[in-house]
Amino acid sequence: MRVTKFFNRNRMLIVLFGIVVLIALIGFSLSDRDSTTKAEQFTGDTVAATQKVVDAPFSFIGNIFSSITGSFSALEENEALKEQLDMLPQLQADNERLAAENEELRESLEVSSSMAYETVNARVISRAPDQWLESFTIDKGEKDGVEEGMAVSTSEGLIGIVTRVNGKSSFIEMISTNASQNNMSVEVRHNDEAVYGNIRNFDTEKDVLVVENIKSQVKLEEGDEVYTSGLTGAFPEGIVIGKVVEVENDEYGLSQNAFVQMNSDLNDVDNVFVLKRDPESLED
Amino acid sequence: MQMIVIFIIGVILMYADMAFTGFSPMTMFGIEVYFVPKLLFMYILLLTIYAGPRISMLFAILFGVMLDVYIGSLYGIHIFGFIAFVIFMQTAFRVFYRDFVAMAFVVLLNTFLFDLYQYAVYSVLDFIAMPFFDYIALRAIPSVLVSALFFVILYVLAIQTAKVRKELRRIN
Repeated sequence: MRVTKFFNRNRMLIVLFGIVVLIALIGFSLSDRDSTTKAEQFTGDTVAATQKVVDAPFSFIGNIFSSITGSFSALEENEALKEQLDMLPQLQADNERLAAENEELRESLEVSSSMAYETVNARVISRAPDQWLESFTIDKGEKDGVEEGMAVSTSEGLIGIVTRVNGKSSFIEMISTNASQNNMSVEVRHNDEAVYGNIRNFDTEKDVLVVENIKSQVKLEEGDEVYTSGLTGAFPEGIVIGKVVEVENDEYGLSQNAFVQMNSDLNDVDNVFVLKRDPESLED
Repeated sequence: MQMIVIFIIGVILMYADMAFTGFSPMTMFGIEVYFVPKLLFMYILLLTIYAGPRISMLFAILFGVMLDVYIGSLYGIHIFGFIAFVIFMQTAFRVFYRDFVAMAFVVLLNTFLFDLYQYAVYSVLDFIAMPFFDYIALRAIPSVLVSALFFVILYVLAIQTAKVRKELRRIN
């Protein structure tokens, strides 16, 4: 009785219309867009700004607590870090010399490197509350030079892709969501040989990325490192993603699939870097 | 006045929802357990009863758009869900008697259904691959339990915000 009453003709029409709009919106958001509209930017920025204000007192209290707990272990940590620091000036000098030499050689060859990139440091301001698709917002946007399609990494390794850019905030999808990968191309290095593959999906049960279409000529082993290949969009080459934990042949025996454990901790993302690839290497 | 109060509480609840991502998923005995309370969603549902369907519909649309644009990979999923469940709440309360237990039951059932609806949409689009029983055991039940914990606070909040209007009317 009630059900028929609820679904009378008008209501039925409204519900159907709503579903059609929902499907249209889903289609719209699934389509590959390379810019963010002004309305989206405005809404995104407003929410991000209010969030920063609301967050401020909480993070202030949190910082006090963490600095109290941190001070207990600070002395030991200080000792250990000092030891590490002794070698640093030499390493830095070596690094600078090598970078300069590299640059000189490259100039004489007239090539630009797909490995060169600049970084923008950013802080994560929020994670998606529904915890389905892993995504987060950072506090840097268009004004800081962030663009759609850029790679985002933590200090350990690649973590996501910039999908929407607002004025002073941007929306990042992690590569562990199946909405973001789009057959991203990666490079697996075994000893000194490099082979290419595509990310197929993220296996949520084992918490590993599945990389497929890897040539069988090179037999991969556990512990091989996986990097970005520089063939996907605006991704620089050679950003570390993770380590191979398992290798299997695909169902036809023509290529191999590798399960890759990501280096970055997906559940605890705090500070990230947006990687701006050297535009010269993107021209062709 | 009431609108402003509701808006501020809504924004705070939205950030409270997001704050839960800080420690969920929790690893218990080697299994990842998800806690996804939907405080904002429950608050909007309670407003349907205590502040009237119009106001709650307005805020459903407002917060739906905000969440979609700010943090959604798929547009429309929050706004459609919010509106649909506010309508559902409205019709449900023509059937149920308005007491605390019935209210708690219906609101918690709705949070469960809302999450189930998101699960359905995302798995149809092949974005997530969580087996159904894992979903129920590791995500749906813990989430409803956490929501139930916070329900009392939200219940008081909703009644208090509903009173704001009444007091102002008396003055006027």
